[in-house]
Formats: sequence, structure tokens, C-alpha cells
Amino acid sequence: MAEKTSKSQAVMLSNVMAARAVADAVRTSLGPRGMDKMITGKGGDVTITNDGATILESMNVAHPCAKMLQDLSKAQDVEAGDGTTSVVIIAGALLGAAERLIGRGLHPGQISRAFGRAVEEAERILTSIAIPLDLSNRELLIQNAITSLSSKMVSSNSPVLAQLAVDAVLRVVDPAIANSVDLNNIRVVKRLGGAMEDTELIDGLVFNQKASHTAQGPSRIENAKIGLIQFCISPPKTDMECSVVVRDYQQVDRALKEERQYILDICKQIARTGCNVLLIQKSILRDATNDLALHFLAKMKIMVIKDVERDEVDFICRTLGCLPMASVDGLDPSKLATASLVEEISTASGKYVKVTGIQHPGKTVTVLVRGPNKLILDETDRSIHDALCVVRSLVKRRFLLPGGGCPEIEMSLQLAALARSLEGMDQFGVRAFAEALEIIPITLAENAGLNPIAIVTELRNRHVQGDHRAGINIKKMGISDMIEANVVQPLLVSLSAITLATETVRQILKIDDIVPTR
Amino acid sequence: MSAPQVLKQGSTEERAENARMSSFVGAIAIKDMIKTTLGPKGMDKILQSVSGSEAIVTNDGATILGKVAVDNAAAKLLIDVSKTQDIEVGDGTTSVTVLTGELLGEAEKLVDKKLHPQTIIQGYRIAYNAARDALVRSASPINQDPAALRTTLMEIARTTLSSKILAQDRDHFADIAVRAVLRLAGSPNLDQIHFIKKVGAGLHQSYLEEGFLLAKHPGVGQPTRIEKARIMIANTAMDTDKIKIYGATAKVENPAAIAELEKAEKEKMKEKVQNILSTGCNCFINRLLIYNYPEQLFTQAHVMAIEHAEFEGIERLALVTGAEIASNFGAAERVRLGQCDLIEEIMIGEDKVLRFAGLPLQGASTIVLRGANKHVLDEAERSMHDALCVLVQAVKDQRLVYGGGCSEMLMSRAVDEVATQTMGKKALAVEAFARALRSIPTILADNAGLDSQDLVARLRAAHYQGNVLAGLDLELGAVGDMRALGITETLRVKEQVLVSASEAAEMILRVDDIIQCAPRQRGEQPEDD
Repeated sequence: MAEKTSKSQAVMLSNVMAARAVADAVRTSLGPRGMDKMITGKGGDVTITNDGATILESMNVAHPCAKMLQDLSKAQDVEAGDGTTSVVIIAGALLGAAERLIGRGLHPGQISRAFGRAVEEAERILTSIAIPLDLSNRELLIQNAITSLSSKMVSSNSPVLAQLAVDAVLRVVDPAIANSVDLNNIRVVKRLGGAMEDTELIDGLVFNQKASHTAQGPSRIENAKIGLIQFCISPPKTDMECSVVVRDYQQVDRALKEERQYILDICKQIARTGCNVLLIQKSILRDATNDLALHFLAKMKIMVIKDVERDEVDFICRTLGCLPMASVDGLDPSKLATASLVEEISTASGKYVKVTGIQHPGKTVTVLVRGPNKLILDETDRSIHDALCVVRSLVKRRFLLPGGGCPEIEMSLQLAALARSLEGMDQFGVRAFAEALEIIPITLAENAGLNPIAIVTELRNRHVQGDHRAGINIKKMGISDMIEANVVQPLLVSLSAITLATETVRQILKIDDIVPTR
Repeated sequence: MSAPQVLKQGSTEERAENARMSSFVGAIAIKDMIKTTLGPKGMDKILQSVSGSEAIVTNDGATILGKVAVDNAAAKLLIDVSKTQDIEVGDGTTSVTVLTGELLGEAEKLVDKKLHPQTIIQGYRIAYNAARDALVRSASPINQDPAALRTTLMEIARTTLSSKILAQDRDHFADIAVRAVLRLAGSPNLDQIHFIKKVGAGLHQSYLEEGFLLAKHPGVGQPTRIEKARIMIANTAMDTDKIKIYGATAKVENPAAIAELEKAEKEKMKEKVQNILSTGCNCFINRLLIYNYPEQLFTQAHVMAIEHAEFEGIERLALVTGAEIASNFGAAERVRLGQCDLIEEIMIGEDKVLRFAGLPLQGASTIVLRGANKHVLDEAERSMHDALCVLVQAVKDQRLVYGGGCSEMLMSRAVDEVATQTMGKKALAVEAFARALRSIPTILADNAGLDSQDLVARLRAAHYQGNVLAGLDLELGAVGDMRALGITETLRVKEQVLVSASEAAEMILRVDDIIQCAPRQRGEQPEDD
């Protein structure tokens, strides 16, 4: 029996170690002074990022427990969209605490139960210190987004990006009734070139492809009538296999003429609806357009944008307020959308098409991200996603918390006080849980080059004295009131981080064996 | 001179003592592996596949045993026993394996004392009958009053879930499971309960959706909300109706003829859509994809058209809406349409799904599981499945026994009493059976990190003093009243554990020779015999 116990303990310790190794890998990227990681992918492609979820996702881990931490970060990304680093760091710290308790002879089951108890209490504490927020308070929303962006590469442009994120979310939801935001309504288009601050919110639509220029088609149309077609303007093709039997030269001539006539007819019918900007869905079975069709359309002064993906159709239709036309006889002026301007814009890296002044805009927006190189562009994209998620979290739960390690210290102190009133093994567990939470302020201080012991001690002191909003102010390199310093974060992010992290840790603690299977 | 070779080259034979030993060793190894997962404080295992990187975290006996690779005949038998238990009653898969292992462990000791396996089998049979009688006698019927029934079912669900990952939120999940099962109104068809797993949020944010959820979207520009829906469910090609004869080609004289053909094909599709619409449906769900053209026609008719609903999706939908899966529309009026009061889009996490509410089949419900990662969700689904199985059994069988080692101790006492009246050597085997039954509370206590010897002795004393409701309270680490604590299980599960375990133990005990065929060489043709 003794041997059995030591085996299961060895498995447990190895699990904890593997998971902590993952947590340690991302630790240095937490906070406004966190560092970035450079990741070389399998194909040699390089990513530079500070985003926990992205780092973990690209790490090639083998240990099942390490994978569980990856999943944890992903779950946080789905739920709150931000705090993907914190959640892993908290899980790592909790596992460290559990490891020490196991070493002192506690049964993992008991630790798990104590952690379960502690997290319930932690949720209560977080909710109690949260400050209600009004969605009409745009400034405050922006501050939240700025806090989230402050740790990113883009932090110098955070005011611009934060504003953009807030505006984008507020544009697609009705603040009075919304309790969630469908981020699919916000389309992010990346375009290489320009500076990061050229990133803009477009009240309209952007196509990443250029307009067709066969036969000098127009590249700028005012008072546009936009139509989206899902059929092809190319020689007819049947679903059944089909062949034209030609007997002599004259028939070839006639065939060519008929083909030309056929395409011209379609083009004429399109022109008759008054359409002057034509979007054409990509087709795999046959050519969506051919040169002849493009030529005719150009002559009719119709701007053509090809290769619209089928899964984009829904978004385009909702944005423009048009309906797709799937056949020639489905052409109908009432299905067209009206916009004041459709124009092609040239940049160093190519051209894109912008639609503005839509007459009946839907509740969608497009964010055009610019960046001088691909690495920055990708990181900006990820940062904007985080900022959007932060705003979404605030729409979901309209409360915010002071940032800078403040909620963690507060939870830690209150839980430590609670632990003293508990009986039995729970006392150990809850106390360890409370101490583990200090990892967040400690890491923040460490990453900023401050003395973590001194800072955290002072922070704890301030909280005990009743200053419940005190947190680490990285800019001033000291402790200050976080609300005054405008370092705020959504409640949902912290709440989901602590619950998800504990859930995963408890699951890891319950494992006593790794069994190889087929 | 060597013995003549009877078996084919490469085959092996183990005889008598060796064969028995190999069975015992195999069975006991499996038992030892799985026993730490037993009970509310049982631990989990990671199942890591050797070939791929897939890993499963689980506490479910059947899942663990279904995945491990073993090369021992007796061990395989044990695995089969647990699978049977899973199919028969859905829960108790660990218990049955542990009990079989313990019975064999006891038998091994007796064999060492020179008891013949047949004697042991006789003793085990006597003991089994006594135990089963005692168990059935101790069972109490379920109170049929709705409120009381609900409370009882909640207790059963909580007991089952307490050993799973959902233990922390077991009240919440017990409630979900009980509500789902009560909606079934006695029907044993668990297909009506559907699971949707979405990563994110916490386990306690899982909920029961009364109705059916389908993770699909209607086509562009179509209604996303339909009241009083008439649903047609189809499995038909909505791209084109192709001639299936290989190499069929149309030969024409000129491109205009092709255009005509194309037009004819389109007309055909239009006709098909017209046929569908003529049934009066306002929601069309297809297993295959729907092309743009028919989609447009549906949009014009303000019909919600959903493509790619997959086999499972349409079969469940057909079941819950009462529709018939149509594939031929020539006689559209004869197709039976499904009904539901409301179809609407709702959001779960980041994704939108369609909800079908107010279904004619009252039992239909969807359990939406949320959790930190895929492992948690998979394990939660397995746990909920166990709970649902047990509840369905409880509703069907209507008889209860008590958990926490109570029933085992009760049986063990009955068996011990029979042992004192049994003549001859087989009495030793009867006693051994009683010891094996007592090992269940012992393992429960061990897994909880408690002093099992002390606790089990106290539990036994309590039973001999006539306290037939005594069991282990693993939260307090003491002997407690199982009825007061509400630790109930269904008779069906316990009985099945006992039946399967004794049968399996007997079967393995009868073995005195293991013949292993020569492994077939790669490339060798199987011989006809």
C-alpha cells in the first residue's frame, strides 16, 4: 500500500510540475511591463506576441496536464477574451500551493475541496468590491480597454485603439437591451502598410480584394447601387456532363457568337436593374466570370468585385442591407443596396475597396488594421480582439474592478481572514489559496522591475488600512488608488479567470495515474 | 527426447496452477488499477494514447477499462464485465470490476490453502444467493408522490454524481438530470436528451434547455425566428439532381442548347422547391447542403432553410418534432411535417444556435454543458450520462437501496450468517465472499484518506447491532445513517453489480488451462478450417 501511495504521489507531482512549467513560460509576459515572446512555428514563420492564449497555443507541449493549461487559456479567451495570461499564472500558483500541501501530507482530495470552498468565497468577494458601470459612460469603457491594451506591443497607441474598440462595440449593440455582443458583427480587415495609428473604424464595408480592372473598369463610383450575385457570368454549364458536337467551321463561328450573346444578355439584365457595383460570389465548379463578361461590365461602367467568399455573404448582406441574387431571373432592383461612395484605395501593399455612406446600414462595423510589418499587424489584430472582448465583458456584466493587482490582494486578505475561522484541513487549503493569489501583484511588480516583496507588503498594508482600491501603479512605480489612476478592468475577466483556473487545478489534483492506452 | 509438439509453432499453453495464477494476477492488476477511482473521493486517471497525443481525463470505470490495452485473458474478461454493466445499467462499472477482483483475490488465498476451485465456486454460489436475497429484501419502494419522487431521484442523482467531476456542483447537476428524466415521463429512450458542449464559463453555468438546440444557422436573409413552425426534415440533394449513371452525357449542337439545358435543370430545382413549399412548411432542414439558387427561393418564400444538419441532427430532430425524414417530394402532401411552437436564435458563449421550443415530444431536452476545457466537458458528459441512466433505471424499477457501503455490509452480514450454518470446506469460501463484499467500504474509506480498518470495523459492528441503515459518511469520516444523509442508489445497479461480479469470478475460477494461439504472421493468409 505504501508503495502504491508513493506512485500516485509521484504521478501527481509530475503533473503539477508539467503544468507549472507552462505557467512559468508565460509569467514574464504579464502586465504593462511584461515582455513579449518570439515563437518560431513549424514552418519557420515567426510570431511576436504578448497574448497568453496565442503563446500557449503555439507551444508544442506533450504532457496531458500541460495541455490542460493550454485549454484553460483558450477557455478564458472564449469566455472573457482577456486575462488569458493571468488565468494560467493563477493556475500555476495554485498548483504550487497544492504541491507544498501534498508534501506536508495533505490528501489531494482535501486540498481540492478547500480550493472549491475558497473559490466560492473569492467570487463573492470580487462581486462585493465591483463597481457598477453605466454603458453610456464612454470614457470609463475606454479606460477599461486601455488597461487591457497597456500590456501589449501597441500600448503607445492604446488610446486610439481603445476608442476604436469601444465605438465598434457600441455601434453593433443596443446598450439598453444587449447582454452579449456577437463579435462576428465586427469584421477586422488587416492591411499591410501605414502606421499602427492609421488603424481606423470604417462606417461601412471593406473588401480586401481589388476591383476588377479588365478593360479599364471603373474604380470609383458615387451614388453606388450595389448588387451581390451568386450566379456565374460565364458560358453556360450544366450539372450533367455535356458536350457540343461541332461538324464544321461555320458552326464554331456560330457557337462563339452565341456564347458572346449569352453573356451579353446576362450583363444587360444586370445593368437594367440599375446596378453599378457588382459583387460576385466565388464559384468552385466553374468560372464565376470570364474576360468577356468583365469586358462587357466595364463598358457598362459597372464596377466589379470578384471572389466574394460564400461565408462572407451573410455579413455583407447585413451590412449593406442587400439581398443576394442567386439567378438571373432573381435580379431585382429592390435587392440592391445604396451607398454614397464605393472606391478603390491604393496602398503600398496593394489595393482594397471601401464602401461608405451606406443608406440602410446594418448593425455591423469593419475595423481596418494597418501596420508597418506583418508581425506588428498580427499583434495589433490580437490586441484589438482583446480590447473588443474587454468591452464585451462589460456589456455582459456591467461591473468593473480596480486593476493593478488590487482585486487579487483584496481576495487574498479576505480569504486569509476566512481561513482563520475554518476548522480542519480546510484552513490549510484556503490559506494556501489566499497566498497563491498574491502571485498576480508579485508578477506585476517583478516584470516592472520593482522590488516585489516591498511593493506587495506595502500593498497589503494599504488594503488592511481600508484602502480597498490600492493597486500597483506601474507608471508611478508605486502604490496608488487605481480608480483615480484610471486603471480599471471588467469584473467578468477576473471572475472567470479565478473560477476557470480553480476548476482546472482541481481537476489536475484529482488525477492519480496516467494509463497508457491504445 | 523432446515431447511431441501438439500445438502449432508459436502457440503457448499454460496449465493448472500456472493458468490460474495468470488469471488471478491479471484480474487483480486491473482491480488495483481501477480501485482508486471508486467512491466520492475517488481519483481520476489520465488515459494517454500511445500513438496519438489524445489524452482523456476520467473517473468513469467503463471509459478507463475500454481504453487500456491489456494482454491477459482474465483482464480482458473483467473489462467485458464492466462493459456489460455499462450497457445494462450505465453505472457501477467500477464497483463491478473491483468486486470481481476482490472475489478472485480471496479465491487465490483459498487456492493457496489447497481448496479446489470447484469447492470455492460452490461456496460462492451459496453466498451469492444469500447476498442477493438480503439485498432485495432490504430494498424499499420509491414513494410515488411527485414531490417525494423528485426528492428521491435527486438523492440518487447526487449519489451517482458525487464520485464524478461534477461533485462540487452536484446539486445543480442532479437537478438538471432529474428534470430531464422527469420530462421523459417514464420513457427509457435517452436519445431524447441531447448534449451540447461549449468551452467557456464554469460548470455551474451548465443548464437544461427544454427543447432542442441545433448548432446551425438559417440562410442569408431568412427569418431567424418562427412561431408555430411547420418543419420539413429532408435528406435530399439541394444542389442538383444528377443522373447517377456513370458517363451519361448530353450531346448538343450549339451553346444555346446548353443554356437551355441549364435552364431546364434550374426549372427542375425550382419545381422541387415548389413541391417542398407546397407542403406548407415554413422551416426546411436538410442533411446535405443547399445551393444558392434554392436558398434564394426559400428566402423569397420566407422559409427558414438550414443546410448541412448532419445525420445525427436530422434524426434527433425528426424524433423530437415528430417529422418524417423526406427524400422524395413527388407526393409532397403525403410527407409528415414536424411541429414546434417556436424556433429562435440564442447565444451560447460566442456562438449562436437555433432553439426549437414547444416540441410535441414532451421528453425532448438539451443539456448545455459549459466548462474550463474539453476534458472537463467530456468528463461532465460521461458523468451526466451515468446519472441519467441510473435515474431512468430508478423510474423503471422503483426500488432503492442505500449506498456508502451500507448495502455491501448488509449483504456481508447475511453471507456471514449463512457461513456459520454451512457444512464442509465450502464454508471457507462463503466467508471469503463476505470479506470481498466488505472490501468495497474499505476501498471507499481508503480513497478518502481515512483509516479504513477502524471505520469498517465500526460499520460492521453497527450492522450487527441491527442498524441496517449504517454506512460510511465520507465527509465526516464516521459511520452515519444513510437514509438521513440521502445516499441512495437503485436496487437495479447494485443487483447487477453482484450478479455480474459473481458470474465473472466463477467463470475465471473454472479456468485451468489457457491456450494462446500463435499470432498470425503478417502477410500470412488465414487458413480455412
